[in-house]
Amino acid sequence: MTLASYANILTRYDLIGASEVKEIKATSKDTVIQEIMQCVIEGDTDTIGGLVEKALLKMDPLKVIDEGLIKGMGEVSRLWADGTYYLPQVIIASDAMLEGIDLCEAKLGKKMEKKGVVVTHTAEGDIHDLGQKIVNALFRANGYEVIDLGKDVPVDDVVAAVKKYKPLMVTGTALMTTTMTAFEKISNQLSHAGIDIPFVCGGGAVSNEYVTAYKFGVYGKDAQQAPKMISDVANGFSWQELREKYN
Amino acid sequence: MNTMTSRERVMSSLNHQPVDRLPVISVCQHATYDQMEQLNSSWPEAFHDASLMAKLASGAHSILGFDAVRVPFCQTHEAEAFGAVLKYGGKTGLPSVNIHPYHIGDNVDFPNDFLSRGRIPALLEAIRILKRDYGDKVIVMGGVIGPFSIASLLFEVTDFLKATFKKPNDLIPYIELGERAGTMLAKAMIEAGADVICVEDMMASMDMISPKIYRNLAWEYEKKQVEALNVPVIIHICGKVDPIIVDIAKTGCGAISVESNVNVPEALDKFKLEGIKTPIAGGVDPVKTLFTGQPEDVKGEAREAISKGYSIISPGCAVPPATITANLIAMVDTVNE
Repeated sequence: MTLASYANILTRYDLIGASEVKEIKATSKDTVIQEIMQCVIEGDTDTIGGLVEKALLKMDPLKVIDEGLIKGMGEVSRLWADGTYYLPQVIIASDAMLEGIDLCEAKLGKKMEKKGVVVTHTAEGDIHDLGQKIVNALFRANGYEVIDLGKDVPVDDVVAAVKKYKPLMVTGTALMTTTMTAFEKISNQLSHAGIDIPFVCGGGAVSNEYVTAYKFGVYGKDAQQAPKMISDVANGFSWQELREKYN
Repeated sequence: MNTMTSRERVMSSLNHQPVDRLPVISVCQHATYDQMEQLNSSWPEAFHDASLMAKLASGAHSILGFDAVRVPFCQTHEAEAFGAVLKYGGKTGLPSVNIHPYHIGDNVDFPNDFLSRGRIPALLEAIRILKRDYGDKVIVMGGVIGPFSIASLLFEVTDFLKATFKKPNDLIPYIELGERAGTMLAKAMIEAGADVICVEDMMASMDMISPKIYRNLAWEYEKKQVEALNVPVIIHICGKVDPIIVDIAKTGCGAISVESNVNVPEALDKFKLEGIKTPIAGGVDPVKTLFTGQPEDVKGEAREAISKGYSIISPGCAVPPATITANLIAMVDTVNE
């Protein structure tokens, strides 16, 4: 599989002309791994299962995950950041990746070792959880365990989950400005409980000004920042340092 | 010095004619807690009761001094009529769709009694009241949801988005239903007295879909809707619509409402090349400026919008209900400078 053959993917999905198509950079010398990566990049959920099963007959599941599935999703994230890919492609690619990871983990007999835990939620009163779903997929694609509290989550439940799972960071998304005040309450309760943790908030309802007005608050401009932020936290960033860097 | 009435001003602007000063409107919802208190009409009652709905909407004229009033406040009437289950947000929140009624592939019938379903009769009655009480002074705007976005509300959002890419043809019957519903509602609004129709096609945003998907699944139906209506139509799409803004203009709409992250001077340059005169509405960021800013911030941003070539000053999207009145009035003060 050569770089040139990716031109077919772009032609098939008629992406040429949608924006300047930048060279797809992720390649592997191993044909099977290359095919798996391509499947993720194409979001081919029909084919990924068979390919991963075939690969697992002779290959280490961790190699399939790291070099095929996760690398493919990394490429999707890059194409998204470039403006070549749009949200539907990212969702479909993430489905393909997760299906592949499930098969690999079944073969391993255990869950792959995660880099850390993150708790995510959509604000109390808000049932628009698309943004949170995207963030979840990106965290998973980058090797983190996601405790997905879902949508319309009461303030107390978020604080309880932070106490229980001791995550690297906690995120909140809000689309409606009527719901974002829940974030301040979470911040206050975490502070009362003596917990010190980055609380990354994003979504249409919130702004840099609003989020940085409460303790722990770090404003997430878009979903693509989420993996970079958690990687910084895993490397020892405090919430103040995270805010300093991104806000 | 104002020499035109609000009605004349908005209509002149939509017809590409000179105006005494730029019109100020809110293409999307403009109710705030401040106005609810002053007008003694609050959510959730104002979502159901026509006279309370009209009273709250009238604040855009009587309190804010805008050139138009608009209903409704939420984006759920059409979906509710198709069987979606709503979650209400009490006194402070907007209703939103909690249970999406269908799965992709299901047969969805168009309800014969569409206009009598849910809160649609109250919405139409509110327009009749606004027209009767304020129609000689300001423009009355009726808001409907765009065809693509109505279709999206029938299903789980991720299923819908995946299908836009993988099986777009499966969605066409639903988008056609969405067009039929929105057009039927808009026509009833016009009959009730609406001077202008605002079409919010929020899911047709580039934050959600690609330009190609917009062109295949949203554009044609927006155009059909615009052509079916005999009053000016303002199309609102959230997010960076730069790659499709010429397409939106080519629906034949009366104006395009955009968020502040759109490069308006560049859009107007593109329009010029194509001989397009469609006015652009917006210029004030609803969250960053209206909600978290002060009147001086609003004025600064509105002045910038004027210099960028916006023809109508409006919040770039729905007004956060906790916005202070002084910030909204600052928009009008700026165009009067």
